[in-house]
Amino acid sequence: MTIAVNAGVEGQALKEAAQDWGAKTDTSIKIVELPYANLFEKELLDLKSKTGAYDVIMLDDPWFPQFTTGDQLTSLDKMYKAAGLNGPDGDFIKSTLDVCREPWATGTYYALPYVGNSQLFFYRKDLFDKYSLTAPMTWDSVLLAAKKIGAGEKMYGYVMRAAAGNAVVTDFMPLLWAFGADVFSADQKPVVNSPEAVLALKFMLELGEVTPPGYTGYNADEVSAQLLQSTAAMSINWPAWIGPMDDPTKSKIVGKIAFAQVPSEKKKGQAELGAWLVAIPSGSKNSLKAFEFIRWATDSEQMKTAALRGNPPTRSSVFDDATLLKKFRAFPTQKASLMGSKPRPRTSAWNEIENAFGIYLSKANSKTMAPEAALNEANKEITAILNRNK
Amino acid sequence: MARRRILWILPAMVVLVSLSIYPILFSLKVSFTNQQGDWSLSNYSRIFADHLLHVSIIQTILYVTVALVIELGLGLFFALVIDSMGRGKYFFRAGFLAPMLLPPVVAAVIWRLIYNPEFGVLNNTLKFFGFATKNLTWTSGEGSAMASVILVDIWEWTPFMFLLISAGLQAIPGEPCEAAKMDGASSLRIFKDIILPLLKPTLFLAILLRAMDLLRIFDQIWILTQGGPGLATETVSLYIYRTAFRFFNFGYAASMSLLCLILVTVFAKNLFGMMKMKVA
Amino acid sequence: MKKGAVYIFGGLGLLFSLAPLYWLLTISLKKEVDQFASPPLWIHFTPTFEHFINAFEVKQFGKYLFNSCIVATASTIMALLLGIPAAYSLSRLKWPRNQAEKIGFWILSNRFLPPIITIVPLFLMMRSVGLLDSPIALIIVYVGFNLPFVIWMMQTFIREIPTELDEAARVDGDSYLGALIRIILPLAAPGVAATAIFCLIIAWNEFLFALVLTQTEASMTLPIGIASQVTQYEIRWGIMSAAGTVAMIPVFVFSLFVQKYLVRGLSMGAVKG
Repeated sequence: MTIAVNAGVEGQALKEAAQDWGAKTDTSIKIVELPYANLFEKELLDLKSKTGAYDVIMLDDPWFPQFTTGDQLTSLDKMYKAAGLNGPDGDFIKSTLDVCREPWATGTYYALPYVGNSQLFFYRKDLFDKYSLTAPMTWDSVLLAAKKIGAGEKMYGYVMRAAAGNAVVTDFMPLLWAFGADVFSADQKPVVNSPEAVLALKFMLELGEVTPPGYTGYNADEVSAQLLQSTAAMSINWPAWIGPMDDPTKSKIVGKIAFAQVPSEKKKGQAELGAWLVAIPSGSKNSLKAFEFIRWATDSEQMKTAALRGNPPTRSSVFDDATLLKKFRAFPTQKASLMGSKPRPRTSAWNEIENAFGIYLSKANSKTMAPEAALNEANKEITAILNRNK
Repeated sequence: MARRRILWILPAMVVLVSLSIYPILFSLKVSFTNQQGDWSLSNYSRIFADHLLHVSIIQTILYVTVALVIELGLGLFFALVIDSMGRGKYFFRAGFLAPMLLPPVVAAVIWRLIYNPEFGVLNNTLKFFGFATKNLTWTSGEGSAMASVILVDIWEWTPFMFLLISAGLQAIPGEPCEAAKMDGASSLRIFKDIILPLLKPTLFLAILLRAMDLLRIFDQIWILTQGGPGLATETVSLYIYRTAFRFFNFGYAASMSLLCLILVTVFAKNLFGMMKMKVA
Repeated sequence: MKKGAVYIFGGLGLLFSLAPLYWLLTISLKKEVDQFASPPLWIHFTPTFEHFINAFEVKQFGKYLFNSCIVATASTIMALLLGIPAAYSLSRLKWPRNQAEKIGFWILSNRFLPPIITIVPLFLMMRSVGLLDSPIALIIVYVGFNLPFVIWMMQTFIREIPTELDEAARVDGDSYLGALIRIILPLAAPGVAATAIFCLIIAWNEFLFALVLTQTEASMTLPIGIASQVTQYEIRWGIMSAAGTVAMIPVFVFSLFVQKYLVRGLSMGAVKG
């Protein structure tokens, strides 16, 4: 059986689970590990040409709409029925199950959620205590705290990533939502140039003033490096980075970081969901085995093992487990974040939209375009993309 | 007679034809279909309206021109310098060649690390010497990104020009230069009147080969900046690649690729023509 | 140019060329927490070999290295075997009018093809003959990459050799093949070496086609393994530099060995253009 996984922390746990399962059921397991971008390309190519090279694939939830077009993934509803089972149980956190269904939250299951990834807000508790600041609940207080800390310490108050594309869009979404805006309106029209969105972008630029100047080209690793080296005090980040923060071989700030929910502003803060799912390509020749494997890997016992290996779970019971709570101090926060999280817009043209949106957001952040102009252009581009892809 | 010359070239031609005919026919077919799969000219009409494509074409030309000129100049300069060395020639040559041997993927990643505004060696070394590095954001700054990316190309590929030109220099007979020197001619004169004319064929070959590769540049830029910030380092190959593999729009990607093929062929034919005239 | 100035410029150039490579080496030997240290640690760090060990034990680099070796060597040899006779034919045998030149231009034009034009069709072609995820697919494709280059360079080297030499051999009763093997090749051996090394570098470092035409580690090559260290959240600098350093070694050794021939070989080719 061949499994394609993401090169990185999330893929790590699934890899080991696969090896365990292979030993248990005496099946030979082949693992293909690829970096994010290439994983997407190879999987999509394989799905569209139905080569059957992979029996199980890991996918990031925004890819899901594009992957389920044209009968490319095996329907899990059918497989559950054939096995006389009811479908995924209620222990899974709803927001993670919703993204496994096409249409979103109501349709057929095509995947199971493996990595419960949603954004968290990382901040230096020690510095907050030093300056008598309370935990940041709103974006306004974040800005104030960042200014205060930046003035008093030899470091930057905030750090974020604004490299064109996925990086800047991911860091902008929580702001967009907190200011009451969104990418699409209720009737699926692009509204990224709404007045609330403009305010959100303007606020991002204000945050940019207390962020290291190179942030317009930053990706996730640069952001985390700033935190780890104690040159920045706060940022939006993902659970994958919780471990390294407390690892003395990587971090200069062991034990000093606290994790909170994404801040609110006009609306309650919602973390962006970035769950990793496991699915079965319809071209696979081992679908029964693959189905067995993904059910096994996502059951409570295996999720617990995966959690011990550093994987954020998608089951409530695992988050509440006593032994795990002792080891992972951020679990309650992660669970709350996951439960309240919001996925990115479910459209098969998301890649193109994210790309266009990302270009203009990046331009706004490097000050080559005014916020209103950037968002207007972005909106025009997104409309064109939707029209082309009807 | 005819049979022999054709026979010897046949295996090579078979390989080349089979690897290029199907792709071109396939691309032609795909370029005339739109996203829904129907016959359509929309891909070609989009080329004229596509602002992103135009920007990337201009930036590609910019990239190619600057990189080519500098690489040619530096390659020529160092070829001359090393050539006039006595001891240590082989040692210096080996060192000069090294950057070209590194996989472009690795070169790009290591330069990304070097360019990092906060932790990179470059800014830190400059800081050490007293330069203000606050605004030196290299690949993160829209103004400096293109220059930074070109610098990496120069670092990695000047050795190619250097090698080619060094070899060309080796073939130039020593006597005319010696004679001219004894007659009191300056180094510059010797270079201009004796070396340069004999070197012209090499230079043209170097320009041709390097230009072909520069026009298709991809790996480095992809890893260094992914085309950003904004659109600052977006080149045609990046745009085509993204269209094909991220947006899965092979039709449009094919039409753009065919356009590029035509442009490059025209450019090469012209370069060829110039080459033949100057050498004859 | 004055002697001193020559060495100063040479030294500066060398510094520019080698400093990033030295930095690569240090990254592969530094502990993670030291890699981003500010001010940067050029020499004052305690080295560790963990990255090299991790790269080879944990991450299957051995297999990638093996695949790269096979693919690079096989495609170079095949390109030379197919390209040299073709070059000989174009430069020594009689062709009507401008045909040889036109054919030569067409051959070179294969290098004009944007990779996207060829990559998906080739993927589909390889799939239909069942060669996906096999080193053979990559070998065939790399031969296609290298043929134009081989033919062009060998054409020029062969033209360097005075025609009287092989004509004399033929007058003595040798066949064209014999003349090629006994006279031309030995004289053009430096050229062959030069061409070989460029072919090797191209195949060894190629990324895009390797990515698309391979699916599992049965056929994946070194550049893919290295690129896998650039993950979504972090770049595993240590492992990647260790792998990059190791990737350089075989090619570097080969180039040192061939350097003597290299310069002489190219010189024979370049003058006539």
